[in-house]
Amino acid sequence: MYCPRPIADVYNERLDITRATHIDFPQAIPTSYYIDPKACLRVNYQTCNLCAQTCTAGAIDFSQKPKNLKLKVGSVILAPGFGRVSHDVLEKFGYGRYPDVVTSYEFERLTCASGPTEGHLIRPSDHTTPKKIAFLQCIGSRDVTCDNGYCSSVCCMYAIKEASVAKEHEPDLDISLFFMDVRTQGKGFDAARKRAEEKYGFNVIRARVPKIDQIDSQLALTWTTDDGQSHSDLFDMVVLSVGLDAPEDAHAIADIAGIELNSYDFCKTSHGAPLSTTKKGVYVAGAFQGPKDIPESVTQASGVAAIASELLKEGRGTQTVTITYPEEDKALEEEEPRIGVFVCHCGVNIAGVVDVKAVRDYAASLPNVAYYEDTLYSCSQDALKAIAEKVKENRLNRVVIAACSPRTHEPLFQETLRSIGLNPALFEMANIRDQCAWVHAQEPEEATQKSKDLVRMAVAKARLLEPLAQPTVDVTPKALVLGGGAAGMTVALSIADQGFETILVEKSKELGGNLRKLTWTVDGQDARKILKDLIKKVEKHPKIDIMLEAELESTSGYVGNFTSTVSKGGKTEMVNHGVLVIATGGEEHKPKGYCYGESRQVVTQLELEQKIAKGKSAFKTTKNVVMIQCVGSRGEDLQHCSRLCCTQAVKNALKIKELKPETNVYIFYRDMRTYGFAEDLYREARQKGVIFLRYTPDQKPEVVKQGRGIKVNAYDRLLGEDISIPANLVVLSTGIAPGENENLSKLLKVPLTQEGFFLEAHAKLRPVEVAVDGIYLCGLAHGPKGLEEAVSQAKAAAAKAAIPLVKGKVAVEPIVSHIDKATCIGCGICATLCPFNAIQMVKDGKRKKAETITASCKGCGICASHCPVLAINMGGFTDEEIFAQIHAFSPEGCGEELEAEKK
Amino acid sequence: MSKAGAIMVLGGGIAGVQTALDLADLGYYVYLVEKKPYIGGVMAQLDKTFPTNDCAI
Amino acid sequence: MTQEGYNPRILGFFCHWCCYAAADSAGVSRYQYPPNVRVIRVMCTGRIDVRFILEAFKCGADGVFTGG
Repeated sequence: MYCPRPIADVYNERLDITRATHIDFPQAIPTSYYIDPKACLRVNYQTCNLCAQTCTAGAIDFSQKPKNLKLKVGSVILAPGFGRVSHDVLEKFGYGRYPDVVTSYEFERLTCASGPTEGHLIRPSDHTTPKKIAFLQCIGSRDVTCDNGYCSSVCCMYAIKEASVAKEHEPDLDISLFFMDVRTQGKGFDAARKRAEEKYGFNVIRARVPKIDQIDSQLALTWTTDDGQSHSDLFDMVVLSVGLDAPEDAHAIADIAGIELNSYDFCKTSHGAPLSTTKKGVYVAGAFQGPKDIPESVTQASGVAAIASELLKEGRGTQTVTITYPEEDKALEEEEPRIGVFVCHCGVNIAGVVDVKAVRDYAASLPNVAYYEDTLYSCSQDALKAIAEKVKENRLNRVVIAACSPRTHEPLFQETLRSIGLNPALFEMANIRDQCAWVHAQEPEEATQKSKDLVRMAVAKARLLEPLAQPTVDVTPKALVLGGGAAGMTVALSIADQGFETILVEKSKELGGNLRKLTWTVDGQDARKILKDLIKKVEKHPKIDIMLEAELESTSGYVGNFTSTVSKGGKTEMVNHGVLVIATGGEEHKPKGYCYGESRQVVTQLELEQKIAKGKSAFKTTKNVVMIQCVGSRGEDLQHCSRLCCTQAVKNALKIKELKPETNVYIFYRDMRTYGFAEDLYREARQKGVIFLRYTPDQKPEVVKQGRGIKVNAYDRLLGEDISIPANLVVLSTGIAPGENENLSKLLKVPLTQEGFFLEAHAKLRPVEVAVDGIYLCGLAHGPKGLEEAVSQAKAAAAKAAIPLVKGKVAVEPIVSHIDKATCIGCGICATLCPFNAIQMVKDGKRKKAETITASCKGCGICASHCPVLAINMGGFTDEEIFAQIHAFSPEGCGEELEAEKK
Repeated sequence: MSKAGAIMVLGGGIAGVQTALDLADLGYYVYLVEKKPYIGGVMAQLDKTFPTNDCAI
Repeated sequence: MTQEGYNPRILGFFCHWCCYAAADSAGVSRYQYPPNVRVIRVMCTGRIDVRFILEAFKCGADGVFTGG
């Protein structure tokens, strides 16, 4: 606040001004002020020093010097993210010259409610609201002129998102999006794109705009569509959807870590081992491995953790810090409540508005308050020590701290309680900073009154607080993996390599799944060798028990303690396991129509791959090959985009061209979705003469029999007329259909998506977990994906599954529901309502009674609020405690209830 | 030679943070190295995320 | 509100994960709003029993706010 040095706000893309001493955004972690050493007057000119003088906590020390640390580590994980496309590329589109040409980063901040304009969308030139906006895709992506030949894989999605957010702010906006191809291949993304297009009425134009001119205060765009027509229009604002570049310091990182980069300066990896660099012990995750969006980054992050964990299993737990606590003083806890109230100044944060001393004195008047005090910064190390001493000295058995938010600070104070032998549940906070002083800065009297009220309510609850047990459940150190394909085998190997017994259940009579049908990977490796190596490792591993021709019959239990029955050859076997991984795969869709099944000349991509594997002789008489994309996918039989078919088609087209260059290969497509580095293959295919023809769903190519041969009839958009291609071979890209997941879904209570794939716990942040704790997900069972992504995901599932196995115990939150068996009438309402399957109905004599599975309970309390006989209570949030807070809401109290409560 | 129980993660964006969290959960001591004064990387600059328009922060 | 003479007493039930977190964020961003709400934190709005709301009115609340 006192810093006199204004600087550009980099967090807000320089659209705003901040100071040399600043916090970039309110939720920043750590939430402490940062002094920009490049701008600070004290650091650069030895003047000012204002901040150090005004900081009452004495937290600013300019005498600190940078230090070099030498750390001994067993592995290094590179996750430096991505860099920005260079300014030169943006300048080609008028950026910097025309103020209303903005980058997608800037647009993101302009539409953000906490951004520089508080979410008001304005044109930088004249601060008016734009009426017509254009989004230009592939800026610095799919562009060899700037050496970025790859597709950045995220821009199509974020452009649609930014356009949607803009429409929500300004419903009358006219928005055009210029795509080369619309690449929304992620899980559920195509459906979301369609919804957004319909809801907001975007103009989706398939064209690349070469440049922008400014005419008066508007921006002129000229483009050519694939029917050869030229168009032009004026816009108020243009957003450049800039791609992801390699990190600026990629070379420095590579030199230091001793790894190799690929031709685009991203980390060099392979499809069979996507997270390994060229140096053992150094691994990579996230956008540095290749441009990718959030779920893929999170998946790789977990995956890389599994790899490091395999490598260093002997070192596990040797350098972690374990804390020990003294025995709980049960006698003291059972005594009449003796409450200590500590009211925090938080420097001037609270005390600048609230009369802290008045609040402290008010607390003294409340029942059962045995000690009260005000503290300058109650969360500082010395204050915590002082609080601990006061609690001991005064034999306090309940503590109330009136300060900031329990969300951020409750664990810290509870830790203090534990350190002196008090149960952490005997603690309550009154939030007089975030929800009082800060939001009522202009009303000190009201804020002080509110603080008193909040303290009174907290004390009322504290009087009733009970110590809560902190139960843990032992974990069976064994994993059950369903599915023996590439994903399943990778999971099993990783968990076993991390040191745990694994049972691998495969329903067919051999391992390998869909990988058996592949001949080459997209990056040209021998897929059969990868398969052979994988099977060998799995079969040889002493900790892996393989069950072929076996299927899961039933599963009961919860995280750490599952019991399953597996049937094999008519016999069933019981297994106990701590975790379970779903890697049951998917299958190539078999389409109807297109003469598939009627002519031997019509095959699927996987069938083609088998043919290619036979070599040149298989194509002796082949002149024309026609491939058709999205047969089945994207709304034909399957609603979703199958993500891998475009890359697979291009890969196979190139193989044919390699075997017999004179073959004509035609590919009919809707959008070529060769995202990431696969774009290179697409470009190569074009260069080698593969002919790409776009079609729309209302003008699909037709396959017809003609005598002993076949031909493909289609509409050529560029020529503007119907064409007919006699084909020796028609290859259908049929996509990935989900396996028979319904049964397993019911068995494990894991929900499916509309398309029939298993649903993850959170699309972005928990991509390999599911709603049920202890069950994890990877491979085609999660959704269509190529080998590289399936392997990363399998590693990620292995990391997540290993966590409970490593810990050996599952800690149960003490705030779970408690059911009083004597009162329960066994109606089952709670069990039906529980969103986490954490209540089971068990036989108790003649009747059924509800029982909480504490390991699964999240403490939401839906059961407690709906129990018709009030048999359920929540730890730390009992009816009595909440009623006490409600009663204390009124300064005078609610007379009769207060009396009743005392009895 | 005994194996080390510590691992360095370079980069505090969503990938680095997730790696660090999982490694800590798997029993390793983690050094998380970040250039900026906050963790979260580019994701912390995003307003919403596709396709649910959930808040990114 | 205060200036206009009407000064209601409102009791809020805030979900720990969303509304309570949002109220904290409002503070961090220094948004200003009238000081009429007193807050009870719950782990989920699903915890809120109708009896809590009735009791609040009985205890003199002019309004009950549930946020989740």
